[in-house]
Amino acid sequence: MTMVVTSATPSRVERIVNRVIGVSRRSVVASIGVVILSAFALIAIFGPALVGVDPVHPYLDAILAPPSGRFWFGTDGNGMDVFSRVIYGTRFAFGIALPAVAVSLLIGVPIGLVCGYIGGTIDEITMRVMDAVRIFPTIILALAVVAAAGPSLINVVLVIGILDAPVFVRVVRAEVLALRSSTLVESAVAAGNPTWRILFVHLLPNAIQGATAQVAVRAAWAVRISATLAFLGVGIQPPTPEWGAMIRQGAELMSGGQWWVAVFPGCALILLVFGFNLLGDGLQDILDPRRKVSAR
Amino acid sequence: MSGSSFLRFLLRRVFLTLPLLLGVVFVTFMLVRIGGHDPVALLAGPTATGPQIEAITRELGLDQPLWKQFALYLAHLLQGDIGQSWVSGRPVLQEIGDRLPITAELLFWGIGFGALIGIPVGLRAAKDHGSLFDHVSRVVSLLGFSIPTYWLGLAALLIFFYLLGWAPPGMGRISLMAIPPPRITGSYLIDGLLTLNWEAARSAFAQLVLPVVCIAIVAAAPIIKQTRAIALEVWSSDYVRYAQASGLNSGMLRKLVLRNSLVPVTTFIGTEVTGLIGTTSLIEYVFAWGGVGQYGLNAIIQGDFSVVQGYVLTLALFSVIVFLIVDIAVMWLEPRAAMR
Repeated sequence: MTMVVTSATPSRVERIVNRVIGVSRRSVVASIGVVILSAFALIAIFGPALVGVDPVHPYLDAILAPPSGRFWFGTDGNGMDVFSRVIYGTRFAFGIALPAVAVSLLIGVPIGLVCGYIGGTIDEITMRVMDAVRIFPTIILALAVVAAAGPSLINVVLVIGILDAPVFVRVVRAEVLALRSSTLVESAVAAGNPTWRILFVHLLPNAIQGATAQVAVRAAWAVRISATLAFLGVGIQPPTPEWGAMIRQGAELMSGGQWWVAVFPGCALILLVFGFNLLGDGLQDILDPRRKVSAR
Repeated sequence: MSGSSFLRFLLRRVFLTLPLLLGVVFVTFMLVRIGGHDPVALLAGPTATGPQIEAITRELGLDQPLWKQFALYLAHLLQGDIGQSWVSGRPVLQEIGDRLPITAELLFWGIGFGALIGIPVGLRAAKDHGSLFDHVSRVVSLLGFSIPTYWLGLAALLIFFYLLGWAPPGMGRISLMAIPPPRITGSYLIDGLLTLNWEAARSAFAQLVLPVVCIAIVAAAPIIKQTRAIALEVWSSDYVRYAQASGLNSGMLRKLVLRNSLVPVTTFIGTEVTGLIGTTSLIEYVFAWGGVGQYGLNAIIQGDFSVVQGYVLTLALFSVIVFLIVDIAVMWLEPRAAMR
């Protein structure tokens, strides 16, 4: 028993390492994305402890101080250290985006499976509802719903997650439609499997691949939307160190030349979203080789 | 295509959007209900007595069951009444109607320039696919996906207004010094030109540049990506390869690819418009543009949900109309599409 475990563990690690190397060789874009995201993840985990400056401590002697040796990114209108706030902001960015995408997956994947496999009226109604929701600009709909439901952290996560679920419904549904008449499903039905088992044991692992490339792209979107909500004062409120809220605080100061309050959180936001987008774009290449190889 | 079959196609399309519109109206109706916001308290004011509050509740139909409220809302909607602002008491329809051309102007130039940059870059990237140009344009387009619109606007103001002094401050559609031209189309630039008021037209143009460039950058990123993907597929199609093998010169090949990419690219830009309406609202907010977008976002921030409802509904209707126009354009570009 112990023998089996010890010999299995290295091979699994090896497999993962090989896989990572394989992915990075197949897509440079995706690996740059992974590097950026890893850096941000490390900052989110260890950054706050290393900085050691309270992000909401007002230094009343240094209100709106420009970047200097003491305050690397300057201070904001409350005299709070912008550098420390940008570092703490990574936690909010990940802390909203990842749960939001999880909510989307939890809602979207089962609905996509059912719609694709069972079809009929359920499918028809679901697709029509999603068409109606798609008519609205997502940013505006998210803003309006969060404003109506109340700007709490939970609401922001839920609203972003629910509004983005149709993406996964569509991807999974399309995959299932293609698999429905395959021998895989036929034999599973012939063997007498119940429908739920066919859905979650036979179809899910095969249909989930298309969704995985979308996860990174949707995380990028979630980071952007949550920052937009905070920028408009509808999401997380200052002085919480969230990037969108920080940009809001610095917006008025921008035309007056006190650029550091809004520029640094903005750059962090762009870089993190860029990392997610690079990864997502690269994964799409890997999963759908036609996209890359095709021409000529 | 003959006139009568065109009309039939158009009528069928309009008819098909009816259930969609009903869904849209239902979503906007529910929007106000989910938060349990009470307009009565806002409308009645702090000094209202019990009977007064009851009267207002009855007047708004809030004592009725939900389905009846929806029917009432729908009935008002069909008469062109989308309610009054909870804050100012003014009719929402008129407020939005007055601001519509202001937003349309921004959106039109923004998407226009976005397409003007995006389509050629995407086509070139597909033609020279795998080249340095392709890689650079891909990364730049991904970067465009990643920049928040409002931050781009703020950065543009910092650089071009504060540092360089080339652009006017982001405070509205015309300089405070200029005398606004009389309203003809609602666009200060066009009205200024029509009334030969050069001073106003020049100022309106200067105010337009930065917001339009910001929208164009955000619009161009997805257009580049999608145009490249579409053109790549056309390049690898049998008919293009046949044409290539037959020795067509590169100019004619490019024309062939362009013609066959045009329909899916047009459709894509049409679907993009929905998202760009949201983008435009944020840009309006940053530049204090005073159009529908700023009006709606302010209402969201203030919790004026009657206006929010009207605003969201207007945006959705606008998207539906754009989809309809795209359908017509596609049919004109490719008559085969109407057969389906």
